[in-house]
Amino acid sequence: MERARVSFTFDGRRVEGVDGEPVAISLLAAGRRTLSRSFRFHRPRGLMCSTGQCGWCECEVDGRPSVRTCRVPVREGMVVRGEHAWPSVERDLLRVLDLGSRFVPPTFYHHRFLRPRVLRKWYLDVIRWFGGRGRLGDGSSVDRGSRRVRQDAPDVLVVGGGAGGLSAAIAAAEAGARVVVLEAEAAPAPAGSAGDGDLLALAPAGLGVEVRFSTVATGWYSGVVTAVDGESIWEIRPRAVVAALGSYELVPAVPGSDRPGVIGARLAARLLAEHRVLPGERAVLVGDGMELTAVGAAFREAGAAVMGPIPTTALQEVGGRGAVAWVVYRGDQGAARRESADVVVFGDRTPNLDLVIAAGGRVGWVDGRLAAQTDPDGRTSASGLFAVGDMASPDPEATAEAARRAGRAAAAFAGQALGAQEQADRGRPSAVAATHATRVTRTGDPPRSPTDGQPPKPGSPHAVLCFCEDVRGWEIQAERAAGYADPELVKRRTGALTGPCQGKYCLSAITCAFNDGNVATTSTGDVLLPTGRPPLRPLRLGDLVVEDPT
Amino acid sequence: MTRGALAAFLAPTDMPATAEVVIVGGGIGGLAIARELLAHGMRDLVIVERGYPGSGATGRNVARIRAMQLTEALTHVARACQDKYDRMGDELDFNVLFYRLGYAWVLYETEELERMRDIVAMHHRIGVRSALLSPDDTLRRLPVLRGGDPVVGAVLNDDAIVHHDAVVWAHLEHLAGSPVRLLAGTTVRAIEVGDHGVEAVETDRGRIETRAVVNAAGGWSGELNDLARVVAPNRPLRREVLVTAPLRRSIDAAITFYRPTEGWFNQTLRGEVVMGVVDPHEPNGVDQSSTAAFLQRTASLVTRKAPALADATVIRQWAGMYDVSPDHLPLVGPTRQLDGWWQANGWSGRGMLLAPYLAELLATRMTTGATPDRLEMFDPDRFDPAATAAGHEQDYYARYGAR
Repeated sequence: MERARVSFTFDGRRVEGVDGEPVAISLLAAGRRTLSRSFRFHRPRGLMCSTGQCGWCECEVDGRPSVRTCRVPVREGMVVRGEHAWPSVERDLLRVLDLGSRFVPPTFYHHRFLRPRVLRKWYLDVIRWFGGRGRLGDGSSVDRGSRRVRQDAPDVLVVGGGAGGLSAAIAAAEAGARVVVLEAEAAPAPAGSAGDGDLLALAPAGLGVEVRFSTVATGWYSGVVTAVDGESIWEIRPRAVVAALGSYELVPAVPGSDRPGVIGARLAARLLAEHRVLPGERAVLVGDGMELTAVGAAFREAGAAVMGPIPTTALQEVGGRGAVAWVVYRGDQGAARRESADVVVFGDRTPNLDLVIAAGGRVGWVDGRLAAQTDPDGRTSASGLFAVGDMASPDPEATAEAARRAGRAAAAFAGQALGAQEQADRGRPSAVAATHATRVTRTGDPPRSPTDGQPPKPGSPHAVLCFCEDVRGWEIQAERAAGYADPELVKRRTGALTGPCQGKYCLSAITCAFNDGNVATTSTGDVLLPTGRPPLRPLRLGDLVVEDPT
Repeated sequence: MTRGALAAFLAPTDMPATAEVVIVGGGIGGLAIARELLAHGMRDLVIVERGYPGSGATGRNVARIRAMQLTEALTHVARACQDKYDRMGDELDFNVLFYRLGYAWVLYETEELERMRDIVAMHHRIGVRSALLSPDDTLRRLPVLRGGDPVVGAVLNDDAIVHHDAVVWAHLEHLAGSPVRLLAGTTVRAIEVGDHGVEAVETDRGRIETRAVVNAAGGWSGELNDLARVVAPNRPLRREVLVTAPLRRSIDAAITFYRPTEGWFNQTLRGEVVMGVVDPHEPNGVDQSSTAAFLQRTASLVTRKAPALADATVIRQWAGMYDVSPDHLPLVGPTRQLDGWWQANGWSGRGMLLAPYLAELLATRMTTGATPDRLEMFDPDRFDPAATAAGHEQDYYARYGAR
């Protein structure tokens, strides 16, 4: 069925879109590739992940600041504005800051702007003017209706309703556990993609699995998992947790890879299949991942020229004046070659470690990827927390079996916890019995998976690694060389990991750059990571308002 | 500072066997004391820090540098503290981003307004130019409060913020290349005491003989006092903070409201809004974990006062330790309980403001033996050793203003 076309404005110009599709996709289809400007150097950014996580598509929407437009359905008459740019995100004159960026390390102002003294306040006024992002409205029309706080205490909580999460959930339920699954999307993922909604339909009837769609896990607080679903704030006290959060796009660490037109393979597939939007006429495919092959075929079918896939390590630069115009890569003979392109699709992904890090679980380099350290049953070093891998792996059946094992192990853990509690309850008056004898907490006794522990080679020192703060590889190295050798100090010095994507898109690259040639592990062989800070996702304050706060 | 000096300072290879003074705590307190003792000519100084420099409350606070206080004695001191920060850039040749953002106590109860009239009169008497604003002027000056709970007024002063991490870096780069040694990642295990007082500090990396120890351990000062069998009434108390994604300049003062509920928010130079609402039932004890209840409490109350902030998104939250004394004033100076034991703790949430200046006074006391006038009110022996801070946390400011 053809959906109605709607018109809205972007930076004052009229744009047409299909009613209900994400704003960012309407803009891309209309040829508007630059949607935002980076915080420090006003580098152009466009739609990249389309899952509401990278933040490159943030715009002001109907007066609300910094809205991730890939998650907002377009409506007739919407007013969308670019932020942090003058006069517009497309032609932002402040991009001159990027030209001098090589002379401006993140702490440059600590050695400047002291003299003359009379100008000291004025300097900081100017810095303040350059800072900021979204405009705060006048508060007259904000939504701050109260949310209901709801509690739950399933035996096993599975976070993530993709194929891995559902496999684990079904296995845990078959083992007798009451299972709740949190899934951020509104509906099961289509069959055959990374998620597989058909799994539940195939499962035996009467299983104790409850899937809560449109419910986003927002935090881990000493074993309590919080979540929001638009109406309620959930406080869930499970006996065991399975993290099945999949993965994030791993942007190639080369100069220019943050340009508009560099997109993840899953977004490319969605654009072509669901939205019938062709993101470019000349596509270069980079890296691996099973989605990439399918994307290449879809591009060709749509009439686009396709090159690649080339290995990620062969890619040297993504060039252009704003959006992608060419790539430089190392050819078979080792010589650098230049190829014109208007879209670069990359397939590399990196495990989503949000929950594992929040819970204090150990992570390490596994096959060159920063991943949770688990035993064969998916057990992490955080007691009661299990992790299952991204199903978009070369061998989905092996990962599905691993997920089922983790589900069974989680159910067994929950059963032990229950048994321990029942024993405890029998031994004392019920009025003072603890609700949960065993809560999910961090312990000091980690199972370890065999890991080679070796980080991959860090990317180009001139590549932007942390996109929120425009931190480049050389800046990480420079701080370390200066003596700020603790990752927490590097984080504070550069701002890496502290931006609105909360480190989701730079943790791997920053850790890799920091580890390069450095003994960046603790005496027990752990990778040194800065402290994880909740919440797991950016949360609008208005969505956290409750009637009767404690 | 020469190239490489900082790296050598932050990662020393050898462990000193003796020191004239061992400073325990590498936060703003310990670093400032090292700086001032160095300025007074002492050279053989060792700072012992359990984590990395600034890893305690120093790296977790929002660095509001407020001269206007609720009592005359403290306002005198706080003004000197603010001046110290104003000079810090020149003295350390490092821009700590001292910025006069402005500071407002926003009032919601008529009774509070009456109390503030007296306090503003006191400010004017001693030369602090605070202003009592009408409700209309409050909303004109702070439009973020429009549409929120009705205000009865505000006390506004030209107070400042600084970059808390930059203050740490400024001190590190100043101390690097000096004879001062910093032992990061080093934990104190025991304090050896003899007939004539302190004799040595035993750490997990070795023993340091010394006749003087400064307890600048913040929320952990109680644990350290216990090792020396020194009794002090301080109690650690968790405070939580959240920060939003950056917004364009829209809040032109650091705001605090505290009756009937205590909360605060302000915008950093980068545009993020930091905020918090205090849990009046927070128990004593060291606990740096974050809570979900804090997010809900802060979102609910702050957006009631400033509805526009409902559209801001929180991207990070954390917690840090206050080291609270019964009268909410720090303990700075020697104690009669143990020769060679110097207190520089109990900052009660004012360490960032007070420490650099009080460190200067403490260094004078340590090197000359004479007690500067302004140090007297912080005498660690002013408490009955058996006294505790219990019962004072319920209304932080009530006690603070009662003196």
